[in-house]
Amino acid sequence: MATETASRVDEDGAFAGVGLGDGRRLLRGAAGVVGFLLVWHAVSLTQDPFVLPSPVAVAGAFAGELASGDMTTALYQSVRHWIPGTVAGTGLGVAAGVAFAWSGLLDDLTAPLVRTLRPVPPLALIGFAIAWFGINDWGAAFIIAVGAFWINFYAAYGAVEGVSEDLLDVGRTLGVRGDLDAVRSIVLPASLPGIMTGIRTGLGRCWMPVVASEIFGVPGVGREIIRASNNLRVDRAIAYILVLSLMYLLVDVAFRAVERRALAWRA
Amino acid sequence: MAGVNGDGAAGRDGETPPTAAASVALDGVGKTYSGDGEGGSVGALDDVSFSVADGEFVCLVGPSGCGKTTLFRVVAGLTEATDGRVLLDGTEVTGPTTDMGVVFQEYHLFPWLTVEENVGFGLERSDRSAAEREARVDEMLDLVGLTEFRGAYPKSLSGGMKQRVAIARSLAVDPDLLLMDEPFGAVDAQTREMLQRELLDVWESTGKTVLFVTHDVAEAVTLADRVVVMAADPGRVREVVDVDVERPRDRGDAAFAEYVGRVRELIGAHP
Repeated sequence: MATETASRVDEDGAFAGVGLGDGRRLLRGAAGVVGFLLVWHAVSLTQDPFVLPSPVAVAGAFAGELASGDMTTALYQSVRHWIPGTVAGTGLGVAAGVAFAWSGLLDDLTAPLVRTLRPVPPLALIGFAIAWFGINDWGAAFIIAVGAFWINFYAAYGAVEGVSEDLLDVGRTLGVRGDLDAVRSIVLPASLPGIMTGIRTGLGRCWMPVVASEIFGVPGVGREIIRASNNLRVDRAIAYILVLSLMYLLVDVAFRAVERRALAWRA
Repeated sequence: MAGVNGDGAAGRDGETPPTAAASVALDGVGKTYSGDGEGGSVGALDDVSFSVADGEFVCLVGPSGCGKTTLFRVVAGLTEATDGRVLLDGTEVTGPTTDMGVVFQEYHLFPWLTVEENVGFGLERSDRSAAEREARVDEMLDLVGLTEFRGAYPKSLSGGMKQRVAIARSLAVDPDLLLMDEPFGAVDAQTREMLQRELLDVWESTGKTVLFVTHDVAEAVTLADRVVVMAADPGRVREVVDVDVERPRDRGDAAFAEYVGRVRELIGAHP
């Protein structure tokens, strides 16, 4: 079936022009999804619903949760710590990465500390999060921020280290004076591609600590997934997992659009 | 990564009326690298002295490893000499200054800026008004013939066009001296000859002093009033050759060929 579709696209291709590659990919992707759903459905017929519910049951659960408003509530609750955690972690990570990579003094001062703290998984800090902030949005945001911080710190640090000395030399001959001027007019724009990649990676990875921190009782999508699993409502659990995927996709597509605009100058 | 020198002598182009040109004097410039073994090292310099007069076009040639690029960086204030000093109109060069326009072989345009933003980069740091800056960018783009590409990013330009942008960018702040390190080394032969003619036009119309580093002897003889020939190990001045041929110079001319032969011989000859 799939090959037949593809060959028909080929014939149309003579007239379709530029969009052909994208169109074919889209069709193949759709075929893949349909195939996956069919296999899933077939397997689910042989299993109990608490082991593997059918895609139809999951769709039903999704619609039900959406209609009852529980899903939007949970999503709102998660976003309430996802946004501040991601924004704070990203901002601080980029700022620290740029500053430490640019300034030899700061780098020397912080290197041992950075190497000690870097390997600590954000989730290991959950005890501190609870002690310092409590089981609430702030505690969850803290865990998320720690995760986002390191991703962005290293992305920004590497990007700044990779900034061409030659561009800085050119800047100096054109009157760039002082660290602030150099960072603002050369270092930041030159390292923007690397920084943007870090931000994008962080945006995706930060859903992991969202779910993890909700295991400890902060309400949100992750909490709903765990609650549904505990009640053997696997259809509900999958419905909430799907919401996370959709959120990730939405944010990623939006950020990619921003990235394309901001980096239009790139070859 | 090094910070930027907070250099007092530099960045004053807006405060003084633009001067047409400046003289440069190198006074016993030496450069040794710590940890040098016996027999010197690539890029080291020993007692380099010569001067370039107001409005003069001087080319610097020499075998590879003779320290041409080190010398270029020392004059530009980007590398510190271990001995001697460089004087720009009698004032010692202690760091990069907007009194010198610097052009590198690899263009080094700011890829995130359009052509006109690249040209205007140095002007942003002068105290010219927005209208003056804009007029100056227009003038520079016109000078290098890139007005219609003003909105383009460097990625879409050819090598020759990129170097024109780099030249316009360095001239925009109205430096007294144009300092160029093998600026046409990365473009094809045809483009190179065109850029050489254009550079001579710019030189004649602006009256700037030019110090031009190249490894291409014919290029040096085509452009220069005088050719400073360097020797290697350690880098030093071997001889200074006056090129006494009317411009525009014809490469087929017997006198031209004679100069090229003489400079080549000086480069090839051992001390």
